Amino acid sequence: MKLLRMVGTDFGKMLFVLLFFASLPFWINHVGFYQYIGVEILIWCTYAMAFNLALGYTGLPSFGHGAFLGVGAYAMAIYQLNFAGQSLWLGLSFALLFGAMAGGLVALFLSHRRGIYFALMTVAFGQVFWFIAIKWRSLTKGEDGLLNLQRLPAQFGLISFNLDENFSYYFFTLAVFAFTLIMLWILIHSPFGHIIQALKQNEMRTRFIGYDVRVFKWISFTISAGISGLAGGMFALAQQSAFPDVMNLQWSGIIVMMVIIGGGLVSFWGPIVGTIFYFVARDLLGAYTETWMLWFGLTFMLIILFQPEGLVGIWRKVGAGLNRKYFQAASIPSQDVSLPDSSLQQIK
Amino acid sequence: MLYLIPHLINGIGLGLLFALIALGFTLIVGVMELINLAHGSLFALGAYFALVVLGVFQPLQEITSPLFSYGVALVLAPLGVAVVGMGLEVGMRRTYGKDPLYGLLFTFGAALVIEEAIRVIWGSVEYSLDVPDLISGSILLGNLIYSKYRIFASFFSIILIVLVWYLIERTKMGAIIKAGAHDSEMVRALGINITRLRLFVFAFGTALAAIAGVIMAPIWGIRPHVGVDAVIPAFLIVVLGGVGSFWGSVMAGLMVGLTAGLTGAYASDWSIVSIYILLIVVITFRRRGLFGKASKLDI
Amino acid sequence: MLTKTVVVLSIIVMAAIFLTACGAAPEPVTVVETVVVETEKEVRVVETVEVEKEVVKEVEVEKIVEVTAVPGEGAKPILIGFTSDASGQYANSGAMDRRGMMMAIEEFNAKGGVLGRPIEWVHMDTETTPATGTRIAERMINQDGVSFLVGAVHSGVANAISQVAQNHGVIYLNTNSSSPTESGENCHRVKFVFDGHGGNFAKATTLNAIETYGDNWLLLTNDYVWGHETSASTRALAEASGVSIVDELLVPQGTRDFSAYLLNIQQIAPDVVAAAVGGDDQKALRIQVVEAGLGQSPAWINNQQDWPDVYGQAPFGVFGTTWYYKLDLPGVDEFVQRYQEMYPDSNIKVPGNVFYNGYMATKALLTAIERAGTTNNHAVIQELEQFTWTAEERMQDHDAWIDPDTHQVQQTVYLGAENPEPTEEYDIFKILSAASPEDVMDKSADCVLESFEDTPVYEP
Repeated sequence: MKLLRMVGTDFGKMLFVLLFFASLPFWINHVGFYQYIGVEILIWCTYAMAFNLALGYTGLPSFGHGAFLGVGAYAMAIYQLNFAGQSLWLGLSFALLFGAMAGGLVALFLSHRRGIYFALMTVAFGQVFWFIAIKWRSLTKGEDGLLNLQRLPAQFGLISFNLDENFSYYFFTLAVFAFTLIMLWILIHSPFGHIIQALKQNEMRTRFIGYDVRVFKWISFTISAGISGLAGGMFALAQQSAFPDVMNLQWSGIIVMMVIIGGGLVSFWGPIVGTIFYFVARDLLGAYTETWMLWFGLTFMLIILFQPEGLVGIWRKVGAGLNRKYFQAASIPSQDVSLPDSSLQQIK
Repeated sequence: MLYLIPHLINGIGLGLLFALIALGFTLIVGVMELINLAHGSLFALGAYFALVVLGVFQPLQEITSPLFSYGVALVLAPLGVAVVGMGLEVGMRRTYGKDPLYGLLFTFGAALVIEEAIRVIWGSVEYSLDVPDLISGSILLGNLIYSKYRIFASFFSIILIVLVWYLIERTKMGAIIKAGAHDSEMVRALGINITRLRLFVFAFGTALAAIAGVIMAPIWGIRPHVGVDAVIPAFLIVVLGGVGSFWGSVMAGLMVGLTAGLTGAYASDWSIVSIYILLIVVITFRRRGLFGKASKLDI
Repeated sequence: MLTKTVVVLSIIVMAAIFLTACGAAPEPVTVVETVVVETEKEVRVVETVEVEKEVVKEVEVEKIVEVTAVPGEGAKPILIGFTSDASGQYANSGAMDRRGMMMAIEEFNAKGGVLGRPIEWVHMDTETTPATGTRIAERMINQDGVSFLVGAVHSGVANAISQVAQNHGVIYLNTNSSSPTESGENCHRVKFVFDGHGGNFAKATTLNAIETYGDNWLLLTNDYVWGHETSASTRALAEASGVSIVDELLVPQGTRDFSAYLLNIQQIAPDVVAAAVGGDDQKALRIQVVEAGLGQSPAWINNQQDWPDVYGQAPFGVFGTTWYYKLDLPGVDEFVQRYQEMYPDSNIKVPGNVFYNGYMATKALLTAIERAGTTNNHAVIQELEQFTWTAEERMQDHDAWIDPDTHQVQQTVYLGAENPEPTEEYDIFKILSAASPEDVMDKSADCVLESFEDTPVYEP
């Protein structure tokens, strides 16, 4: 019953998000953008949602998540090039599987840690993966990358869709994104999701209740890495190549910033908002200045200081403020309670 | 065996340089329990400020010796960076009392902003720092050529480490700093302005980062991105040595230097990744690093 | 609390926009608006209807020349997309690359453009990251409607861009990426490579070193594709001449401390160290070798030194370059002067190979368009494949040409060393010799260009 009630509001939001993205290819050229950026945004949204499972929901700050995106991309590329793979589904499954395996391996070392130690170890592992990608030239072609990937057709039994054009590939990406979104939503609202959120708030207490927090952290991280790998596989097809650069420290740091600015720490939708914000800002500002990272970094700093709930948090406050102003009598106490200083409240 | 000794010496020298780089970071982590990821950018900023100082002294070359201007740069550049550090600390105050992750993220953003600012002001061109002749050039030790400057830098590192240790452990100021970290309420109750204390410690830590930047500039070169080459090892060394342990991080610095130096000699393609593997191995078996104490940053 | 946040953030956003609009952008960016000229199309259609099939192409071309030979209002500009790095490791080289391209464009615009059409350009930062390269290429082609793409330093970025370019048929000039794979297994019909690659420079420096120095060599190899390919070329050539490679030390990417290597080198005591080390690693190596006074013995041979990387520093050993500003050849001084007049505020006071390659590539492209009489990509590609320069046009010692099989420019390679008697502050190279393109040719058998049928037609 409780689940259905929640669906009432979240269902609307999910519908909005999916409709927004579904309509995008039709108006994106008119607002001064191009098809490919839509594809990239969706893929990074998938990656950001996966990342937020670890950061926002389980409280695991991973500064090396790019490794899993990269592993997924390479899995897809190697499947296609070295094994003459023809099946899109199999390629994506490998991307997900290898991403999860990489994440599982890393999580073995880290699942009993959190906080700063966790963060640094993820940096170390991220660097190790990047090193392997550069060094294992026979497999990955190093910095030259694995090139000339084909966008394999999406086959549903007898019907097959050609994905060569960005327009059609966009819809396939949307399908994968929608699937991931719904799956993650179900996961978050399942008992598992509640446990990991409890774990984020207070690990000791969760342990005292009787849950093996290490196992849950391991599972959460592995799932996060797997979906990141899936996003990586999609990315490899989008670019039609796989490069080691997404594994490096800079890019692993950017996903952290994207998710937090969007409001991933308090909201399921935060990563999506943050990803769109990043790409739009980069494309717009990047056309005018080469120092746009300066402004993005400053925005990030201000968000951390004043609005750790990110853009979604601001949106909520504005909404609550407006709500109060127009729809409620003055005598009713204010809705927007300021958040406690320590861990943030349960994510909606 | 004969070939091993020069590499051991080199590894120790390298370790001392790493310990120097990590010094400011260690101080801030140990005393304020705060991860300052802007350490690297401040390190780079120190080198750039030194360039500015030397540039100012350029026309005065006739009167003053290069040694003098280098010494002045070594003093003024850290002071300049300390000012920036103080600004950063003021900005960061809102994150105190929250999850330490916020402090880390804030300084992470600051690192990016400072690096970009450097790029805007000085460009991406490579600069070099002029080193006085006394400590420049090469020296022959037992059939092998060593760089005089590196020897100077290693000794400087030892001196600075001892000085900082002395300051923290043996002076009244140091006692106050440690007390402030341990029990800030009590310290405040005793009438000491904890805010100003934190400001001072942070400024001191960033000044140490800048000194390391000036010292390392003639070895690594001066580019906007050079900060990243400093902050990653610093972070690694502090965690390896154990949060809260001063000598732990010095030891860790030496370990990292030896690892890098020895792998550089015998398995050079692994020289960088070996450091990360070292970290992973040590942390897996010793939860808090070599000599770590329990802290807010724990687990 | 809320209003404060909103106000602060709005101020930041407005300040950002204001500042970027005013001063933060170092170079002006023109974004073209598509001006559709109906007249051209109409003329073309009329012509194809009236004329027999076999001669259609020639007549078409002629007719277009006639129509667009009249410069002026309504002539749709040719838009060139600059895909160079403005941040990351190669930011400096990217900036010099762009300056060269812009100078070539200005030269042509002063003559009324190309085919009567003015030339405009648009630039976006490729961030030394291949994924960004893909995105920028897609954007420039699909949104900005660029006619051609020019610019590269990082081989991964060049690969990403050239893939997108090949998919659309957009001609792409790789100005400064010197990975041997660019004109090897990663070659494309639409891509043309204007820099010498690691193998060319290895040949030049190795041949010279074999004559001059001893027979025991050590290879210092940056542990990534470019490093290994370059060292492989050096090894093959050296061993064929009787040199023995006593050891190969690998340098992982990101190495900042070379003390262990320098100690090892001293202990091994080779006659020559052949270094294939690039990027920021090269800079650290150079500083530390010079500081330790090890630049003379053993003899060092480096690969190519990019001018923006070494400017203001002291080079060491023997290295290669495609051009130098103090070459005693006709046209060089005027070229340098034009650079200084056009960019008086640059912190690099004299141009080097990166600027030179950007200029030469863009100039060749525009010349090829003129010769083809059309912007039809197949026609321009065919012109470029037969392109030749005299030594004077190149401001080099020998004639140059584009190899039609690999699309790489075959040009003179100069050997340089530190200049013991500089005539001025930036005169840091001493040119030792000039190797002809034939001598340094290092053609890869891996290059398989796509056929013209497989290359989409693109006529901007």
